[in-house]
Amino acid sequence: MAEPVLRVAALEKRYSEAGPAAIADVTFDVLEHELLAIVGPSGGGKTTLLRLLCGLMRPTSGSIHLDGRLVSSPPREAAVVFQDYSRSLFPWLNVYRNVMFPLRTVGAPRSEKSARVATVLAEVGLEDAGRKYPWQLSGGMQQRVAIARALVSRPEILLLDEPFASVDALTRTELQDLVLRLYDHEEHGVTIIHVTHDIDEAVYLADRVLVLSGRPGRIVGSVGVPLPRPRHQTATRSSPQFLSLRNELHGVIASLQE
Amino acid sequence: MTPSGARRLTEPVLGVLVFLVVLGIWELWAGAADSFLVPTASEVAERVWHVWPTSDFLSQVGQSLKRYAVGFALATAIGIGLGLVVGTSHAARRTLEPILELLRAVPAIAIVPAAIIVLGPGDASRITVITFGLCFPILVNTAEGVQAISPEVRDTASMLHVGRVERMVHIYLPAALPSIMAGLRIAVSLGLVLVVVSEFVGEQNGIGYYLVVQQSEFDYPALYAGILFLGLLGYGLNRLFLVVERRVLAWHYGATGG
Repeated sequence: MAEPVLRVAALEKRYSEAGPAAIADVTFDVLEHELLAIVGPSGGGKTTLLRLLCGLMRPTSGSIHLDGRLVSSPPREAAVVFQDYSRSLFPWLNVYRNVMFPLRTVGAPRSEKSARVATVLAEVGLEDAGRKYPWQLSGGMQQRVAIARALVSRPEILLLDEPFASVDALTRTELQDLVLRLYDHEEHGVTIIHVTHDIDEAVYLADRVLVLSGRPGRIVGSVGVPLPRPRHQTATRSSPQFLSLRNELHGVIASLQE
Repeated sequence: MTPSGARRLTEPVLGVLVFLVVLGIWELWAGAADSFLVPTASEVAERVWHVWPTSDFLSQVGQSLKRYAVGFALATAIGIGLGLVVGTSHAARRTLEPILELLRAVPAIAIVPAAIIVLGPGDASRITVITFGLCFPILVNTAEGVQAISPEVRDTASMLHVGRVERMVHIYLPAALPSIMAGLRIAVSLGLVLVVVSEFVGEQNGIGYYLVVQQSEFDYPALYAGILFLGLLGYGLNRLFLVVERRVLAWHYGATGG
């Protein structure tokens, strides 16, 4: 039976001592090899929660444990893909060097690391783009590079912060299917936390969807998504089960705004 | 022929014409004035021919270029080093800002007499003046470049466990490079000003010294030949810098469409 990889307990974050809480009383577990989506309205503490999970910020109270260890700084087992690919990739490095960057401290022969980079680039469909610079690629391809860079160090947990919010609709579906393919890929067995404001996307990708309310962000709903895998853009999205799940989530979010 | 194509052909021709017209006006005006204080263009050209290739003149140039190069290199090292520190550390910024702002406001040529008292005439005092004057534009541009680095780049560096020194060298330095190069471009021209002016006082060689000697010996055509040489030298140094900049910042021009 799957174990919780990540345990989040009574998490609260205030940016100033007397100020309002950005998130409050957030408690949840993430199982090994689970794909958890967190949805919520914009400005509702999603980014705060993700930065806390990444270890980029310390919580005001509460705790995050990854593999039983308290997260107080960015853990080596975690990798993140930010929304803004154009800023998170290093523009002075070509694609190959960008993806190689996380391996710079790994004590392995260069040829081995090189092969590793080639493998992840192939996994995201960019086997021929190594010598290109990020600005020579489309937005969707840049985000693929960011995903490859996140995967190259074989993270246990992959955190996705609205990763498809800045690309066009067609590219978005491509990238969604890429994430599903990587998730189903046995070798990785990676756990994914995917933060999004897109309810349909959350249902399409996730095993479970958490709903984060706005100001302060609290977990107000947890909906399991027992849709069969592999999933397909048309078949899955048109199934009655998909529609009832998304309607249920829309209902939860609509009730928040009343 | 397209209008822009025509312009591309006629503009250089016009440029040469204007240049010749200015030379012509100078020749006629100086000829009409018939004063030994104002040599004609042809007199100056004749002196250029006899002055520039002489070993005496070239060794003066060599002295100046040596001071310029050493001062520029020291200012680059100090400016970028301090700029990185000031740009990354709030504490360093608050501590160093008053003294840096004060020193920056001092015109570098104002310290020439003091530098000669302390360091004596010769290379050390000139190089000090040049270094002092050049390090501020480099420092300020480096610090500004570092401060303008997007939070996403900083977050990415944190997630990739980039340590302090590595972060300076491999993230902040390249990310701030477009701004640093802007500072260096200012220094390229300012350096020439400082080397010449610093050699006006208490010096036995260098182009600045050469100009003062020609003035006191009433060899005005040679004085203008020296000035013309400085113009060409400044132009050459700027062109050289642009070539280097294009090369070093190729990724940046690509990314910004510049």
